[in-house]
This record gives sequence, structure tokens and C-alpha cells, in this order.
Amino acid sequence: MKNIFVVRIFFLDHLDMVAGKNRRIVRRGGFAMRFRYAMVCSSNQNRSMEAHALLKRQGLDVASYGTGSHVKLPGPSVREPNVYDFGTPYKQMFDELRRKDPELYKRNGILQMLKRNLSVKLAPQRWQDNAGDGVFDVVMTFEEKVFDSVLEDLNNREQPLMKTILVMNLEVKDNHEEAAIGGRLALELCQEIEGNEAWEDTIDDIVAGFEKQHRRKLVYSISFY
Amino acid sequence: MVGIMVSYSRETLEGLASSAKSATELAPKLHCLRNLRRDLQKEASVFPTELLPLLFDLLSDQFGAVRKFVAEVLGEIGLKYVELLPEIVPLLIKSHKDETPAVARQVIVCGTDLFRSTLERVAVQGLHSSELDELLESSWTWMIKFKDEICSLAFKQGNSGVKLCAMKFVEALILLYTPDPSGSLEPPSHEGIQADFNISMLRGGHPVLNIGDLSIEASQKLGLLLDQLRHPAAKSLNSSTIIVLINSLSAVAKKRPAYCGRILPVLLSLDPLSFLNGVHAAAANLALKTVFLSCLKCTHPAAAPDRLIGALKEIEGGGRTDKAEDLFYKTNGSIQDKDSVEDTKVPLEENPLCVSSLVAESTFGRKRSGSEYNIDGNGDALSGKRARIIPSVSGESTEGLNGNDVGSLPLVASTSAGPNKSRVVSDTGPVQQLVAMFGALVAQGEKAIGSLEILISSISADLLADVVMANMQNIPPDDTSYADGTDDLVMNMCIVGSDAQIKYPPSFLAGVLSLSTAFPPISALINRNIPKKENAGEELCADHVDQQMFSAEDAVLASGLPASSDTFPVNEEGNIVFPPNVHYRGNIEGGIPGMDSSAQNDVLLEASVTSVLGSTNVEAASMNQDASFSGEPLLAVIPSVSVDKSEEFSPKTTGTGCNSLVSSTATSLVSAPQFVLPKISAPVVDLSDEEKDNLQKLVFLRIVEAYKQISMSGGSQLRFSLLAQLGIEFPSELDPWKILQEHILSDYLSHEGHELTVRVLYRLYGEAEAEQDFFSSTTAASAYETFLLTVAEALRDSFPPSDKSLSKLLGDSPFLPKSVLKLLESFCCPGSCDKVEKDLQNGDRVTQGLSAVWSLILTRPGIRNDCLEIALQSAVHHLEEIRMKAIRLVANKLYSLSFITQQIEEFAKDKLFSVVGCISSERGDGETLIDDCKKKDLDMENPPKKSQSVSGVGMDTSSEARSSTSVAEAQRCLSLYFALCTKKHALFVHVFSIYKDASDPVKQAIHRQIPILVRTMGSSSELLKIIADPPSGSENLLLQVLQTLTEGPMPSSELIHTIRKLFDTRIKDVEIIFPILPFLPRDDVLRIFPHLVNLPTEKFQVALSRVLQGSSQSGPVLSPSEVLIAIHSIDPARDGIPLKQVTDACNTCFAQRQIFTQQVLAGVLNQLVQQIPLPMLFMRTVLQAIGAFPALSDFILEILSRLVSKQIWKDPKLWVGFLKCAQSTQPQSYKVLLQLPPPQLGNALTKISALRAPLTAHASQPEIRSSLPRSTLAVLGLVPDSQGTQTSQVQASETQTSQGQQQASESQQTSQSQQVSVPLSHSETDHQETSQVVATQSQSSPIGTGMSETSQSQSSPVGAGQSELSQDTQVSDSNPPATTSHTQTSDSQSSNQTHADDEKIDDTAASENETMEVEKSKESSAEEEE
Repeated sequence: MKNIFVVRIFFLDHLDMVAGKNRRIVRRGGFAMRFRYAMVCSSNQNRSMEAHALLKRQGLDVASYGTGSHVKLPGPSVREPNVYDFGTPYKQMFDELRRKDPELYKRNGILQMLKRNLSVKLAPQRWQDNAGDGVFDVVMTFEEKVFDSVLEDLNNREQPLMKTILVMNLEVKDNHEEAAIGGRLALELCQEIEGNEAWEDTIDDIVAGFEKQHRRKLVYSISFY
Repeated sequence: MVGIMVSYSRETLEGLASSAKSATELAPKLHCLRNLRRDLQKEASVFPTELLPLLFDLLSDQFGAVRKFVAEVLGEIGLKYVELLPEIVPLLIKSHKDETPAVARQVIVCGTDLFRSTLERVAVQGLHSSELDELLESSWTWMIKFKDEICSLAFKQGNSGVKLCAMKFVEALILLYTPDPSGSLEPPSHEGIQADFNISMLRGGHPVLNIGDLSIEASQKLGLLLDQLRHPAAKSLNSSTIIVLINSLSAVAKKRPAYCGRILPVLLSLDPLSFLNGVHAAAANLALKTVFLSCLKCTHPAAAPDRLIGALKEIEGGGRTDKAEDLFYKTNGSIQDKDSVEDTKVPLEENPLCVSSLVAESTFGRKRSGSEYNIDGNGDALSGKRARIIPSVSGESTEGLNGNDVGSLPLVASTSAGPNKSRVVSDTGPVQQLVAMFGALVAQGEKAIGSLEILISSISADLLADVVMANMQNIPPDDTSYADGTDDLVMNMCIVGSDAQIKYPPSFLAGVLSLSTAFPPISALINRNIPKKENAGEELCADHVDQQMFSAEDAVLASGLPASSDTFPVNEEGNIVFPPNVHYRGNIEGGIPGMDSSAQNDVLLEASVTSVLGSTNVEAASMNQDASFSGEPLLAVIPSVSVDKSEEFSPKTTGTGCNSLVSSTATSLVSAPQFVLPKISAPVVDLSDEEKDNLQKLVFLRIVEAYKQISMSGGSQLRFSLLAQLGIEFPSELDPWKILQEHILSDYLSHEGHELTVRVLYRLYGEAEAEQDFFSSTTAASAYETFLLTVAEALRDSFPPSDKSLSKLLGDSPFLPKSVLKLLESFCCPGSCDKVEKDLQNGDRVTQGLSAVWSLILTRPGIRNDCLEIALQSAVHHLEEIRMKAIRLVANKLYSLSFITQQIEEFAKDKLFSVVGCISSERGDGETLIDDCKKKDLDMENPPKKSQSVSGVGMDTSSEARSSTSVAEAQRCLSLYFALCTKKHALFVHVFSIYKDASDPVKQAIHRQIPILVRTMGSSSELLKIIADPPSGSENLLLQVLQTLTEGPMPSSELIHTIRKLFDTRIKDVEIIFPILPFLPRDDVLRIFPHLVNLPTEKFQVALSRVLQGSSQSGPVLSPSEVLIAIHSIDPARDGIPLKQVTDACNTCFAQRQIFTQQVLAGVLNQLVQQIPLPMLFMRTVLQAIGAFPALSDFILEILSRLVSKQIWKDPKLWVGFLKCAQSTQPQSYKVLLQLPPPQLGNALTKISALRAPLTAHASQPEIRSSLPRSTLAVLGLVPDSQGTQTSQVQASETQTSQGQQQASESQQTSQSQQVSVPLSHSETDHQETSQVVATQSQSSPIGTGMSETSQSQSSPVGAGQSELSQDTQVSDSNPPATTSHTQTSDSQSSNQTHADDEKIDDTAASENETMEVEKSKESSAEEEE
């Protein structure tokens, strides 16, 4: 039996509030629960890590993954990308790229990104290979392809727990600027969900509200563990 | 020990439970419970029953979290200690209505686990004993109660999170109650819970469970679930419920393919958009899409992939359907490739006809064909429907195929009917025997099922595989409906195939897949019997029937289509048409209506028609076998659809055709190890990465090399698509693009290189633009760029510049990256380095590049700016040849395009202004240059080159080089602008405005261009506007412009007017008038004449020549004599002109003797002498005339004598001149001198004492002496005052002679005085003058016209540069007449004179006397001369 007993902590805070401050455990019906979130993009470098870092800073229980087959980083030319396996520590990539061409990778923001990443976690993780990481309540993806991969993976798994999992896709272009915006949106969305006792009943309203407020398309699906 | 442990832990547990109960806060409670649970998990032995009540109490705890946790713990306990279930389950049932959703959900979750485990226990126990133990039975009863509760929850209206769980429970229930086709069939050998429980392990005679009842219940529950999604009910659901419903249903459909037939129609007919608003519809749509995509992988017949694709298309609006079709194609579409496998295996029987023949011959085939016929007999609607489905399926599966072969259709039918009987396969190996055995068994129908099963299980896997391989020849080409999941092996292989599709190269995959398709004939038969044997529900039966239907349809195709592949090449010449466009999309759309009807039919047929077919009609069907193979059914079907659906067939047939061609080459290739049978017989091959790469590479190469066959068969479009797609899919290490490039470039034209390249580029571009993560899209983008660039460069290097391939390629490419533009730029603006190496080619290259740029600008708005930039850069290229080409393009073609006019103008303007700032040279050079410019302006005859070389003389070579380069540089920047000026004259004004600040080389460059430019422009109104208001400092430029403008034919009156006005108002420099001098009216010229005189000598010369030369139309403006008179009439004081200038002007005139001839001078003097007062320079001119033309001396003497009569001595200046004149003309002038009154004579002799002696000598001659008055003689000292007689004598004679003279002089005087006194009106004098002018004009006209004629004939074509020359020739031409006129000077002079006088007589009576006298004196002088 997996531990699905998770503590839910409700955030009333807004984006600008610093994690840890003003945190209140809200009891509703005697529950003190907390959702687990997963941020997923294709390489677990840019978009998912941006969101991961942000959510983590806000004190949410979050992990991040990629669904691609490899971790690809832009190289000196478009023909020569830097390809790593999932699981290669960010630090290693950082050192390697810094050794290769510090100027280039500083200029295109890769080094900064890796530095941020290595402060968040050890290495990029592949979603499909980390089914053992436990049960998530909410999965945010940032690309339709990733969304499909996650759903496919979830549907291919055994579903003995009958535990619902919310998978949402927010389209975010894969560049640093958009990733920053996407990360903030993801945080806002997760805090919104966190504020509801059972998202199963309110998800439609949450999504509609989000779409209205940010004029961004949000697609979700529900799967089971 | 154990007891202690147990008791200890029991106490602990109880303590924990009670403390949990007693605690009031949430946290400690949970803490206790967590410990409790941990201990419970450790506890292996019997459960402490005392604990239960405590836990039950906790189920009603105030905290939801506690209740939930307790429920979870209870669930675990229930799983572990089955005996407690009857106690636990009632409580769970109670608490599933808990007000906290989380608790309820937890209860359902626990309940599901409990239900599953209980069911398994019940089932397993029932297998081994006829009785269940009581406890278990009561547990089961409770579980059923629980189940009913949850189900009611699931089907209740409402939208809660609990419902989601409940529905999930129902899904689990359905799955539990129905047999898992992929699960093991064998009953578990021992009691206990199996990992994969399968209800199919139940056999008849189970005490509690009846598999049929269970299936019915599952079916009911499924129906209830489906009902929720049906139209009215679905409206009240929220989207999360819908999503879960859809997902659950899809899970059921996937795991129990038998239900596909029920589930998919509902899902397909579900139209979320119709009842859900935006967000929710999107979510539901997405769920549907996911389901459909996953269902596409399902190979069950009811999956109806064509309909799925259609539905996906609707959902996506085309977005994802490519993927769907790809998926489908990869999974199911290995139809034709099967042939290749066959061919490899049976090389002797390459004729695909063997398929149909075998079908016809074997009993197996007999049966299948029989059923097919029956189905066809079921009604027109049905067959029509089917005929529609099949083509659309095949059309999709051969995606991208666009060969069309209408003509082969009838052939298909006929050939399939024809030779099939003659083909008998006589392979008598064990495999064939086995096949025959299978056939025989199958033919016996149900009776033989048992033995069939035994046979299958008894033969080895390898042998079975071989049997299947052999039987493959009997398979219809469409395998979509065959792979039924009930056969383990087939299922596995399908999975292998579908999983491998991404990693394996398609043709290998095809091999594997075709293997799986090989099984259906057998597996279908097996499958058909299994349900009956096991008494499964009617669902499976119906399902099986569906499958039969499909197979029957396929048989129709199977008999026909493979044959076409054989007949195809034969009839190629006559029948085959290859339309080049891809039309499979249309096919699909056409297929959709058919699909709908088939969907309904499927549902209907489930119950009625097909069940009959499946069982009873089999025998009857086999009787009709012969009829079915006469080809009639096929023909019957085809005509009904072929009218509008023929296209749907054709891709299929063509596809088969080309594939067979490919496969036949494949067979001939020995080095194709992947097609060797043994390897295929073990379809799950674990290849190393390297092997995979090799295979992929080989496959790719083979497709690449197949171009010859493909081009013959017309499938090249498919091949292109295939290659492009493969290139995308292949790992980049293989570098498929390079292979492709080599192929393309090895023979660009005959390999259809353009088409292939463009196809590849579009594919890559699509990949790059698919908005994926930027890592993969940049990879595609770089591949795109490299590919295009490589091909483009190769085209450049291998084709002559005149070839259009490159520009066509660039025009057709979806996008031109920077590097390609750079390549283009290197065409248009080659660097200076390669100028040397291929100078010859450069020009053509530039043309090629520019024309490409031009067409790109026209057709590709996106890169218009970049291309324009290239063209413009080329237009300021440093090589003139290139520059001129580019300028021609820009000015003539591009500038007229309204959307870039502005840009071009801006650019040219920038360049124009830039030269002012940038290009500068040293001042020293500049001055020489500016002089040059001016000089050049003045004498247009100097060609620019010459002037430059002249300027170079003064300078050292280095500075010359510098200045010339900077001139070139200026020209580089300017020429574009000038070219634009010719298109838009208003632009010209900027040239004027920069001129002032321009450095000297720039000015020089401008001056070089102006003549050409202005000549092209002509005197347009815009130009005139500019001229009318020239910016200050641009005078030189203006001059040149005017010169150029007036060079040609008669300048327009507007132009003349403008210039005049300009001169009058703004620019006082008379030079501006020069160009139009010949065209001005005479009066105007005379008015400005003083200004001309005031010019430096050279300029005056120019002006003079212009005035004298005049225009070709109107002749000279002034005659030479008029010019001289005009000069003399200048009063330095009045006109403000230095006397020196006037004398210089005179000198200038005298210098040109050929113009200012003797006659002219004579005429002029004659007129001048009549003026009162005499012109200041008169005597000077007379002196000059004598100096220039000694022959004039007589005439001048006459003038002198007239001057005497005019009392010349009264004007001291003239008097001096007179004396000088007299002195220079002595001795003839003695006579005149002697006419002087004695005082004046004395004065004269004192002034010029040298005269005295000769004059005295002259006068002392007797005859003269006698005529002289005494006083004169006295002055001369011939007669002393005392010698009275002598002098009186002389005096007498003198007086005699002098009387007459005196008389004459008196009369002259009177006439003069008259002239003075009589108020002569101006008009009169004018008139007189004009009449004289007329005379002189007529006199000089022969020469004048002669001159003008020559000038006319020479000036216009030659231009300014040669005008000097022409003048020279004029001079030489006019020489002979001049000399002749010299000889007859006196005659003509006199005649002229008389002529003039005659007229004068008429005119003025007042001057009659005078003229008479003149005449007389002239006569006398003539006499004297003689």
C-alpha cells in the first residue's frame, strides 16, 4: 500500500508572498491535506524546472519530470545539440558546458538555467521511468505532446489505487522568458487547486476561471493511480 | 513466544486504538492510528478481533481524516483477514455515504480491493470444490451488496468526486466479470490468489458464479455506463465525469476488445461540442482523442480504424490526424509489404495471382469465399456499404499514394477470374500438408474444433509459424480486421509490431506485421469456435460475426487486387493515367458517410443478421463457391461505386503495383538478410542499436535506389513522401539526408531532384515549425538549412548559370534561411577575390542570382526585404558590370512595384547622401578637378575621359589614382540613384541639393553621369521645376544639365523661358544663358551682349560661336557684322564694362578671320563710320582692319577721307587714331592727309613728324602741287608765304580741285548737319540699320548657310565631344569660298555698296547726297587703284 495520506496545506497567499510566511493549515472537515504536484515538460530543464523552482520556493510539494527520450540542450550550432541521458546531474552538465564554451552558454542562458536547476534537484528525471515516485494529485504539463505522453503512460499503468490524478496542460513555449511566465501561471493554478477541498468537484470552475483570467487555453484530463 | 508477541502487540494495538479514540486533537489521533497501522502490518498472525469494535467506533469519528484513515486500515485488514469481511463490509457500506467525499472515496477504494480479492477467492475455491465455505459465501454476499450500493452511486445522477470513484469501481467490475482475452486460459493449478485473475478460469459447475451471468451483468453495467454518455443524459454531466467515463470506457474497450463494438459507436457519436461549453468540451474532446488514438492501436475488428480516424479528424480539425493515420498505417497497413515477404519466401511463385488461385483451390479458401458470397447476398445496402469502406481504408493505409489507375479495374476482375484455376500450388512439404490438414479440419466446421485445438497445441511453435507463413498466400491483403485478441501469439506479435514501429525501419516492421496478419485465417477460425466452446455470452458471438464480415470483404479484395499488380506493368502503355496530385484526403472524406451507415449497421447486425451468417449459412455458402469466384460479386460491387469512387480504388491498386515492383527488386537482391525467412519466423528480434541502424540504412538506401522502377510505375510521389518521412524518423547519426543528397545530386534532372528536394524540405519545415520544444525543432531546422544549402550549392557548381533549377528550387522551398540568402547574395554581389578567377562566369551568375532574387521578391513577401537588400547591395557593387545589371533590375523591374518603391528610394537616397559625407579627397586635387569640371562644362566637346586625363597631367600619379578611385566610389553609390531619377524625375532635385556639399570626386562623378541621365529624362516638367529653382551652389551642375538639354533638337520654349527667367531673377551669371543662346531672339541677344563681352576671353569665344552659329532651325542669331557693331556700340561707362574687355572682344573677333572676313569688316566699318558720334573704338578697329586685311587699305582710305570731312580732329582720341591710320597706310593716305585743312594738317605733321618729308615730297609733284591750295602747301613748307605766284598757281589749281572737294565736303557737312539737325526718328535709323543688316545677311548667307548645314549634319549625332572637330571641318570647308571672295573683294564690295545704297535712296532722301558722294569717292578710289 502506498502512502496516499498526504497532508494538504491550504494557501491563501498570493504570488508575491514569500514561502513559509503566512502559511496556515486550514482544516476543513477535519482534514489537513496537501496535494503533490508534478511539473512535466519534455527535457526537465527549462519549463518544468522553472515551475518546480517556483512552486518549491512557495512551499508546495512538487517534483518535476521530462517525457522526452533524451535531455537535449542547444549546442554550438543547431546541428550539434548537447544530448544527455536523463539522470545526468545538472552539475555535470553545467561543468561540461562551462568547460566547452562559457561565453556561448552564458549568452544563451543555458548556464544560468543549469545553475538554477542544480539548486533545485540533482538531475533531470524521466516521467515514464519514475512511476515509483509515488502518487501525485496534480500533474502540470507544458506542451501537448508531453501531456499526451503523461496520459498515455498513466493509462498504461495498472490502476489499483483508484486514486484520481489531475493532469493539466498549459502550453508554454520553450524559451526562458515564456518559461518564467508559465511557471508563474502554474504556481497560481496550483495554489488555486490547493485552495479547494476536492478538486474533482470544482475543477471545471477553476479551469474556466483561469482561462478567463489569463486568456490561455488550459486542458485537463483525469486519470487514476 | 508467539503468544507473548501477539498478546503484547494486541495490547499495544488496543492501547493505540483507544488512545486514538480518546484523543481530541487531530494530530495525536492520526499519530496513534499510524502507529497502529504500522504494527498491524507487522502482525502476521491472527487478527485481534477485539480491536475491530474500537476501529468501528473510530469510523464515526468527528474528523474526516480519521474516518478516512480508519477506512483504509479496515480495508487492509479485510484483505488480510478474509474471515472478518462479514463484519467489516457492512460498516463500509454504511460509511460510503459519509459526508466527507474523501472518506467515501476511500471506502470505495477499499471496497474495490476487497471485492476483487473476494471474487478471486470465491472463484478459485469453486474450481476445486463444489461447495464454498460458509464464511466465504457470506463474505461474497456482503460484497455483492457493497457492489450494488456502489453501482447505484455510479449511475446516480450527480457530479461528485465520489461518483468518479464509483464509476471506476464499475469499470473494475466489468473487467473482473469478463474474460481477459490476453489472460491465461488455464485454470490455476492451486488455490490462492493469482496475480492476474481471469474470470475465464471459471468452468461450468461453479457453485456460486456463472460466467454467463457475470457477463450479462457486466454487459448491463456497461450499458448503464454508456447510457450516461448518450445524448440527453450526458448533458447533465460535468466534464470531469465525462472524462472519467470516457477514460473508463476506453480502458474497457482496450482490455476487452469484444466490447469495442458497443463502446466505440457511442464514443464516436458523442459530440461534446453540441452540449458542452468551451472549456469542458475541450477536455472531453481531448479525452476522446486520447481514447481514439489508443484504440487505433487496437487491432480488434470492431475498432473500426477508419471511423476512428474520421472522428479524430473532426475533433482535431485535421491537426492530429496525420499522426493517427501514420499510426494506423504502421499498425495495420502492411498490406502490400506482405507481398514482398511472400516473394522472398516463394521466389518461384512471384506471380501474385497465386493468392487468388490458392484461395480458389483450397477448401479453406472455399469456405471463406462462400461466406463472402453469402454476405454479399444479404442485400444491396450492405454490399454497397462495404464497398465504400474498403477503398477508404486502403486509401488511407496507402497514404500519400497518388497514382491513379482507373483502367486497371476491369482488368482486376477479369484476371482474377481467369487464371486462378490454372495455378495449382504443388508444394508437398510437411508444411503444405499441415496447411491442408488445417483446411480439412476447418471445413468440417464445429465438429472438428477439438481436434483442431489439439493439432495446434501439439505442433511446435516454429512449425506453426511455417504453416502460417505458407497459409499467408491465402490471405486477403487487408488485415485490419483479422488480428483477434483471443489468440495469444497473434496478440503478442501485434504488440511487438505496434511497439516496434518507431524503432524499426518500416519495411522490416512490415515484415513482422505481415507475419501477424498471416495468422488471422487460422486464428479467426479458432476464435470463432472458442466462444461456443466456452459458452461465452452473445457479445462475443456478435463480435465474431463482425469479424467475419470484414474478412469476407477482404476476400473480395484479395481475389482482385493482387492480380492487378501483375497486370499493371503490362498495360502500362495503354491504360494508366498518373495524375500528379495527392487525393487521399478526399478519399477519406468520401468514406465518412459510408462509415456512419456502417456504424449503424454494425450495431444492428450484432443482434440479428450476422448471427445467422456465422452459424447456419456456412454450408450453403460453400456450395456457391464457384459462383463467387466467377468475379461477379466483385463486378457487381464495383460498378455501383466506381463512378465516383474509382479514385478510392486506384490508390490501392497502384500501391499494390509499385510495391510488387519494389518487392521484385528486393527478391533479386541477394544482400537482404532481413528478409530471410528464419529470422522472420521469430518475429521478436532484439536488435542491437548498431544492427538497427544498419537495417534502417539499408532500407533507406533501397528506397533511394528504387527510383528507376518507381519512376516507371508512377509511385514516385509516394517514394518522395516516404523518403522524407523516413529521414525525419531516422536517428540523425545515420545521416539519411546525406544519402538523399548524394542521390539527388548525382543526377538532379533525371532523379526528379527538384521534386524530391522540395518534398524533403517541406517535410523538414513542417517538423521544424511544429512548435515542439525548441531543441528538436532547431534540429529539424538545421537539417533543413543544411539540405537546402547543400543542394543549392551543388546546383550552383554543377549547372551553368543559365539553368533555372536553382531559382526554381529557391522559389519552391517553403522557407529560405539566412545561409541560403547569403548564397544568393554571393551570386549577386561576388566578393572582389573571385573576380579574377572566374570573371567570365560572374556576369551570368549575377544574372542568375538577380533573376532569382527578382522572382523571390515577387512571390515571397516574407523574405522580400532580405531579397531586396541583396538586390540593392548588388546595385552598389564595386564592379560596374554587376552594378549595371542590378541597377537595371532595380530601376526597371523592382522600382515599379509599389510595395518596395519607397524602400528602394530610401536606399538610393541614403547612398546619395552618404557620398557627400564619406567621399572626400585632398583639397589640392579638388581644385584641379573642379577646374576640370568647369572646363568640361564649357567645352562639351571634351569627353569626360579626356578631361580626367588632362587633370591627371598636373598631378602625381598616386593622387590621380586616389582621385579616380574615389570617383569610382562615388559613381558606385550614385548610379542607382541616377537610374531611379530616370524613372522618377522629381528625385533629381536631391542631386542638386547635395551638389553644393559634394566633394570633388563626387561632382566629377555626377558630371559624368549627367549627360546620359538628362538626355534620358528630357525636359520634363519636373526637371523644369528643378531648373527653375535650383539650390544655391549647384550652378555648375545646372549648366551641364542645360547644356545637355539643349544639345539635341530645338529646346522647348518652356525650357528657354525657364532659363531666361532664371537668368533674369536669380542667377546673374550669363553663362547660364549660353546653352540657349542660339535659340534666343535677336533682340534678347543684343540686350545681353554687353554681359557676354564682359566674360573672360574664352567664354566669350564660346558665346560668340554660339551666337554666330545659331541653331540649325533658325540659323545664326547674329551675323558677324552685327556682332562687331554690337561690340562697338558698347559704352564702357554706361554699361559698366571695362574698356579692356571690349577691346579684347574686338580682338577675339579679329582673331577669327574666317568669320570676320574682309567683307564683313568693310561692311561694319562702313556702317560704323556713319554713326554719330563715332564709336570710341572705331579708329582702333580701322587700324586692326588694316593690320588684318591689307587689301582693305583703299577702302580704309576712303573711310579716312570721309572722316576728314567729318572733322575727325575734333575728337582727340579718334584724331590720334586717324593719324596713326594715315601713317600706317602711307603713301596712299597722303591724298587724304592733303585734304585736311591746313591747320589740321599742320597739327598732324607736328604730331607725326615722320610724315612731313614724304608728304612734302608727294605734294611737291607738279600735278598734285598744282591742285593743292597754297595754305596747304605753306604748311608743307613747299611754298613760303612769300612765294605768292607759285602758290597762287598752285592754290588756284588747288582751289579748283579743292573746290569740288570742298563743295563735296561742304555738302557732306550739310548733309551731316542735316542728319544731325533733322530729327531723325529712331525708327528711321533702325530701319536703315536693319536694311543694311538684311543686305549683309544676304551677303553672308551663302557661307552662313553652308556652315550651318555642315554643323547641322554633324552636330546632332556626334554630340558635344566632337563639336570642336566639326568646327574645324567647318573652317576648312569654308576656306575655299573665303579665298575666292578675297580675289573679287573690290567688285563685290562695290556692288554690295551700290546695292546697299540703292536701297538707301529709297529709304532716306536725307542721306542721298552722302551716299552719292560715297559712291563717287568709291569710284574714284577704284579708279585710283586701277
